[in-house]
Amino acid sequence: MPTLDVGGGKVIELDEDGFMVDPNEWTPECAVALAKTEGVEELTDTHWKIINYLRDYYQKNGIAPMIRKLCKDTGIKLKEVYELFPSGPAKGACKLAGLPKPTGCV
Amino acid sequence: MSEARKPQLVSDPHNLWKGSTGLRQAKRAKAELFQTLGVRVVPDDQKVEMAIKYLDKYRKEVRSFVMAMESCVKCGLCAENCHTYLGTGDPNNIPANRADLIRKVYKRYFTVQGRLFGSLVGAEDLTLDMLEKWYSYFYQCSECRRCGHVCPFGIDTCEVTFVGRQILFNLGIAPQLHTATGKAILETGNHMGLTKPGIEDTLEFLTEEIEEQYGWPIEFPVDKPDSDILYVPSSADFMLNPDTLKGAARFFQYVGANWTISSKIAEAGNFGYLSDQNRVQKELVNRAISEAVKLGCKKIVWGECGHGWRAAKMYIPTKSDYPDVDRIPITHIHDEVVEYIKAGALKLDKGRNPFSVTLHDPCNYVRACGLCDNMRIIMNAVVEDFREMHPCREQNFCCGGGSGILFDDPDMYQFRIEASLKKAEQIRATGAQVLCAPCSICKAQFYPMVKEHKLGVQVKGLIDLVGRALVFPDDQFEDDMEL
Repeated sequence: MPTLDVGGGKVIELDEDGFMVDPNEWTPECAVALAKTEGVEELTDTHWKIINYLRDYYQKNGIAPMIRKLCKDTGIKLKEVYELFPSGPAKGACKLAGLPKPTGCV
Repeated sequence: MSEARKPQLVSDPHNLWKGSTGLRQAKRAKAELFQTLGVRVVPDDQKVEMAIKYLDKYRKEVRSFVMAMESCVKCGLCAENCHTYLGTGDPNNIPANRADLIRKVYKRYFTVQGRLFGSLVGAEDLTLDMLEKWYSYFYQCSECRRCGHVCPFGIDTCEVTFVGRQILFNLGIAPQLHTATGKAILETGNHMGLTKPGIEDTLEFLTEEIEEQYGWPIEFPVDKPDSDILYVPSSADFMLNPDTLKGAARFFQYVGANWTISSKIAEAGNFGYLSDQNRVQKELVNRAISEAVKLGCKKIVWGECGHGWRAAKMYIPTKSDYPDVDRIPITHIHDEVVEYIKAGALKLDKGRNPFSVTLHDPCNYVRACGLCDNMRIIMNAVVEDFREMHPCREQNFCCGGGSGILFDDPDMYQFRIEASLKKAEQIRATGAQVLCAPCSICKAQFYPMVKEHKLGVQVKGLIDLVGRALVFPDDQFEDDMEL
């Protein structure tokens, strides 16, 4: 199984799609390391706003939020989310936030 | 190259067509994932032997498959009727050739002439290489059945793909997407792994959205006992298609229905039907009836999902283990809406959908379920400018994502772009502003594809448009659609 060195001696396991196998292992350092795999060089405050929102939502509800809710609650337009996370909210932003890859019709 | 294919190449603005013939394969699931579905991956040195055993089993069980194996005369009519072939130019994507990948093997092991004369009569030994081809081409076929619709012998290539995919699944070969979705089905009863708190939170959010848009809220009942109607939405609606859920709630509210959504079967689709028609498919089949019984429902109303409607309408009655299956009618929400339209019971304002709309016919609705005229009755009742695309109805081309081939690994994503070339051409020709695609797979395929093909259309479901057009006395309609 692929792994990723997130620094500080911490190595995380990734699935075949590069998503974290265990979302509970997530730390902010994981997002920094995973960002590079998504071609995102630097995480801005807006990136963190989305990542933290997703983390919080996932911890409460055990699933990623509806994309429209993500945009409304963070005040960030969908177009901007795609600019920040080129693979989009479900596959890019969720990956950095340590959420599992969405399945089904996405 | 025939005349019929040239216009697609010309119409393609980014020169995407590359006539690719290589073996293209979606990322496949690992053994650990298969294990969660109760399947042990067959070791390579036993795969061929086991595949032949499974082939023998299914040829005895599935008559439509045997008919397909025995009847093809290679007339070639299917070629230009297959969007996958038209988009990729790969000869193995001609439905007759795709079926031949398994027909040659069938001939070799299960016909006298094949056993005696082998390759002289077109028979071929099964090898690991051939299994790799099966995996590639049976997951490039979207099981849309357009080839079956035009075949003079009535050969339904979808039945061949079904058997091919099932054998592969039994061996432990299936896409990561289908297998991971299968795991979510077994664990949660839906494709996306939605939890009850997630479902409730999303629906509360949509209640607020309805209030913002129409001036007053509508609540979504979840797991409500003593409901008359169990509404089964697509789980993708909870992430990507909010207007479809809102439209359904507005409709049920309008007709005064005592309805509920179940957190145990928040899934109109059935990826089991598309990869494992045994354990995984049956999980959702059985949940539909057991949940309806538990909640006291007299009727099940299915949400917008093409393959899922076929799987529900045609297969729940035969596959369910519960006796109540014969006592609970299962209908589609479009058919429900039409009953009320015909009775003159709905006040609909087309002016709330003042844009031009074209309709993409989901393959499974029109070619498998007879859901064709009713979509048009609704369309004509709720939008001002409805434009048919051509060809349409039973002749319609697939979106290119049918049967869940919504793969995102780079090569397969490129494949999706190619497979939607024909569709893009059809949509562009209508000049419509909105593309109505009342199926979750179609929507998931179109959201990125309308951008890839620069079509400049908004993608909506049909119930989305119904919800907007329904006029309640308290409505203060504010349009939230940006065209």
